[in-house]
Parts: sequence; structure tokens; C-alpha cells
Amino acid sequence: MTDTVFAAPPPAHTDPSAAALVDPALVAFIYHEARLADEARYSEWEALWDDDATYWVPMAPDADPETAVSYINDNRARIRSRVAQLNTGVRHSQTPPSVLRRTVSNFEVTEAELTKGEVTEAVVTEVERGGTVTVASNFVLVEYRFAITLWAGRYLHTIRRTEGGLRLVGKTVHLVNAGGPIPTMAFLI
Amino acid sequence: MTITDQAGPPAVTAAGLRPGDVRALVQPDRVRGLVYTDPQVYELEMRRIFREGWVFVAHESEVPEPGDYVTKRIAGEPYIAARGRDGEVRVLANRCTHRGNRLCNADKGNSSSFRCPYHGWTFSNDGSLSGVPMRDGYAERFGEVRASLGLVQAPRQESYGGFVFASLEPDGITLAEHLGNARHAIDRLVALSPTGSVQLSAGWMKHRMYCNWKMVMENNVDGYHALFTHQSVYDAVRPAKVSHVPSKTETMVRDMGDGHSEIDYATEYRRLDEEFVWYGRLKREKVPGYIAALEEARGVEGAHDTLVIGPPHTLIFPNLFIAEMNVMTVEPLGPGETIAYTTPVLIPGQRELNSRTLRRTEGAMGPAGFLIADDGEIGARNQLGLAAREPAWVTLSRGLETDVTDATGRINKDKSAETPQRGWWKHWAAVLEGETAGSGAQS
Repeated sequence: MTDTVFAAPPPAHTDPSAAALVDPALVAFIYHEARLADEARYSEWEALWDDDATYWVPMAPDADPETAVSYINDNRARIRSRVAQLNTGVRHSQTPPSVLRRTVSNFEVTEAELTKGEVTEAVVTEVERGGTVTVASNFVLVEYRFAITLWAGRYLHTIRRTEGGLRLVGKTVHLVNAGGPIPTMAFLI
Repeated sequence: MTITDQAGPPAVTAAGLRPGDVRALVQPDRVRGLVYTDPQVYELEMRRIFREGWVFVAHESEVPEPGDYVTKRIAGEPYIAARGRDGEVRVLANRCTHRGNRLCNADKGNSSSFRCPYHGWTFSNDGSLSGVPMRDGYAERFGEVRASLGLVQAPRQESYGGFVFASLEPDGITLAEHLGNARHAIDRLVALSPTGSVQLSAGWMKHRMYCNWKMVMENNVDGYHALFTHQSVYDAVRPAKVSHVPSKTETMVRDMGDGHSEIDYATEYRRLDEEFVWYGRLKREKVPGYIAALEEARGVEGAHDTLVIGPPHTLIFPNLFIAEMNVMTVEPLGPGETIAYTTPVLIPGQRELNSRTLRRTEGAMGPAGFLIADDGEIGARNQLGLAAREPAWVTLSRGLETDVTDATGRINKDKSAETPQRGWWKHWAAVLEGETAGSGAQS
């Protein structure tokens, strides 16, 4: 474990009622992303990502990826490779795929977007402008492989609205046990 | 600071094996399957290999400044590697000498002293006991108490190329004797740095694997498995750096003696005479700062040669593996459970290159890595398979007839030969039997 107490990301807002105002379309998108990952629907999952994507699972909440190694730090090309490897059917650590189910909850829009304006306006306006909004949530994931493994942590989904619909730009996963050791994590976390 | 809840492996107790018992488990071309599963064998390994012998503990660059410390475990025991005000790195037992509380509970940090939270005893990071609250309770014995209750230092500690090794047994061979031919691997690694030193500062991935620690280590120098275990990478992502088909490459395997072994790509890289084959065939234009610094340090031809030959792919007995630009070390937790620690090899001051190295490590190594996740899975299945007691032996005869001896060790020009494994087991048996100086004590 590290010195750092698990504290990321920062509190979303000071008004608790704002949590209820997360655009339902964003929540539905996150549920969809979670289900595709759970069900090993790799190519459909990959199709959610935009071109400037980052899929990041750091080893500490305050890690600087320029100086610290991460469990996963995929750009778009590497996301494609990761999915292509899973699709071979001989990615042994996911052959057969782990049986997975995750619960995602405690949705909050993070501070960065809220500083742009009043809560309800900010979310809608930013997305309508074609910008991004970052939604924080908690997750609990049960993996069954040789045995049950419990995973949990904080998600940060950065989502962009495009003409083709919502697109995933960033997904950061702060594992509660990021300090490790962690077992093999070859599935889509 | 968070309390680490990861208990280490159980403390070592005397194994019930008699002289000759281990010898009977190892033949030149095969080993008994139970070497991976038997609790008595495991206990003896902890004693002979991990306590009495030299083990890799930390790298000096993990604690670059005075006061820096990292916490580690050796044979299940908690240790601190701390750099004192005098610049020395000391490997100290992480246990308050008063009542046994684990003194330092973070992975790493900076502190000139360690204060036990139980009764407030304070130790300087050179190990000396510097403060005892309410000292009057020891009356006139206080001076004696303070002088005798400094932190226990690992009985033997030496480093080479910044790699710090320790042994928990006072008597035995020197580190140089332990490393033998394997020191050349460390030389080959640090030659890639214009400053002559490497930096292991990016943190260690900690990957829990459900297999015996020796499977992790011997797999690292297995030139046979890649086409099968890692088929998904070559099919879907990119071809291997050089062919894994033995007849198509001049890559060789080598038993370097003393349990050390490697897959040596140098001949193949020289034949190709191409720089950075070992680094995704990186174009030197991508890292101009590094090239300039290396040419400054080694000259134009020297830099070219260094970049052609590249880093080693070498296992240093028992727990250190230099995997090109990654370093892996293992911590056994029991016969069927191991933590593999992996960190990228960074070059001081070369941010451009280091950023790429970080991304390459993440791609290949660790719990989600394109390569190592599958090695971990195969290891777990290997452990499950060995639950079948028959056949009694695991066979390691591949290439037995074509091994040849030269000044560098025992080599085989077929990279799929099990020469490294044969070398590993020969040494392993000798160490466990107490027949070799490599085991430290000669009891």
C-alpha cells in the first residue's frame, strides 16, 4: 500500500442534491459500458471509445503517469490492441472469459464541469456544446474465475456528445486496492 | 499512512527433509513435480535460498535522497531499506526492538527517524536507538539498553550496479561470488545509461500469481513457450521482436552457472545490426536527447553497438529477473502463491525515453499486461495440473544432447532448449542440500 489515503477524485460539489441531476442519458451510457465489459462484448465495448481516448488504471490516486507506472494506461491504439487480443480467443487469462457482474452507483458530476456554471446548466450546456463531462461513480465488481474475486473502486467516465451519440473519451479506474498486490486483471475493468 | 494489511508468508521453521532427499528430486533432465507443491520443500527453500543465500532486496535509486526509505520483505520478514544522512543504504529489520511492533508501515517515504507508535521509541534511519520516552524506568541500565537495542541490520548486504542484495546469514560467499557470470547482465543493462546507472523509481506493479515462485522465474528464461502462451499477442497486436522459431534466429539460451541463466539475443541483434530491435524497433529520431547523451558517453560507434545489443534477458538466482527494460522480482507466499513485482528501467534524465518505457512496461507486464497476464494464467493452471501426482516427473530434456560448454557457461543455440531450466535446478538442488557455497551457511 502507499502512503496516500484513497481520496480521489475530489468531491464533486457542495450541494448534495446535485447528485440527482446527473443527466440520465450519461448514466444510461455508463450502465451500457459496464454491461458490455461484463459480458465480454469486446468489439461493442471498443466502439464506445472516441479517437482521443485514455483508459487508465493507476497504482495510486495521485500518480503522475509521466513518472509512475500504471496497471493500464491505454491510448486509443492500445485499446484497439487490447480488444483485438481478447478477440483472438487465445488470450489465455480470459479464455474462457471471467464471469463478471458489476454494480455502478453514487453518480456525481465532478467539479471541473460544475465550475463552468450553475449545476443543471453546466452539465447540459457543456454536453450540448460538444464538450465533455466527467461523471464519477463507485463500483463493485464480482469476478468468478477459479474463485470469486472482489474488485471495487471509483470510476471517472469522461463522455463527449457527438452527432453519432455519446462517446467515451476517458475512463479512469481508481481501485481501492490500487497499492496491490492485485491478481491478474486481463478483463475489462 | 495506511496500515498494510498484507501479511507476509509464515515464518520459517525447520523443514523435515533429510540430506539427500532434495537431491533425489532432481535429475539432469527432469525434476519431480512436487518441487512446486511440497510444503517441506518450500520451508527448506525459505531457509537455504531466501535466508542463507543472497537475494535481491531493492535498488539504490528507490531511495535516492538521505532519509528516503522503502519497505520490503525477505523470506517473509519485514525489512526497511533506508538511506542515512551519511548516504549509506541500510537494510534494517522493520521491527521495534522493544516489543516487536512493525515500525514502518508505508511502502515508501522520507524520514530521518522511525518512531514506534506503541511506546514512542525512536530509531534513527541508520538503525540506532535515538529516543526512549520516560527513560528513568530503566534506571542506570539506560545507556546499555539504548546501545544494545538498535534496529537489527541484515547480517550481510552488498550492492552491484545499484542493485542491493542481502543475506540473513552472517557467513557465506561474497556477492561477487554469488553473481558470478550474471554480473555481466547488470553491466549490459547499465551500459544503456549514459550516466552508467539506471533508475527504478516508477513504482512496482504487484501481481499476485497463484503458482509456485520457481515457475515464475524459470518461465522468464523459457524460450519455448512464447509462440503458444503469447500467441494472442503475435496474432492480434504485433509480431515478436525476433522469430521464436529456433531455426529462424541466432538467439541462444545459456546456463551461466550458479543458477543464473538467460536468453541471449545479442548474436541475433548483431546479425541484424539494427538498433532498438529490443525496443519495438524504435527509430533513434524519436529520442534525440538520449542518443546525444549516449554518443557523448560512449562515442558514436560505442553508442551504436550498445543500442544494437540492448539490455539482457537474464534471470539472477533466485529472485531477480532483468527483462530487457523491466526488472522483476518475486516474493514467495507459499508453495502455490507468489507476488511478482515489476518496474520499468528508467534512464536518469531521459524523460522522452522514459515516458515510452513506462508505456511499454504497462503494455507487456503486470496484472493487465499483454504478456504477463497470460504467463500468470498458465502458471496457475500449471499449479492445478501438478495436483495430479502422476507422472511423478516434469521433463526438461529438450536440447540436452546439443548443449555445449564455453567460457560463458553452458549454451544451446536452439532458443527453445531447456538449458536454463536445467541450470536452475542443478543449482537449486545443491543449495537446498547445503552442498554449495551459494547457500551461505554450510550446515
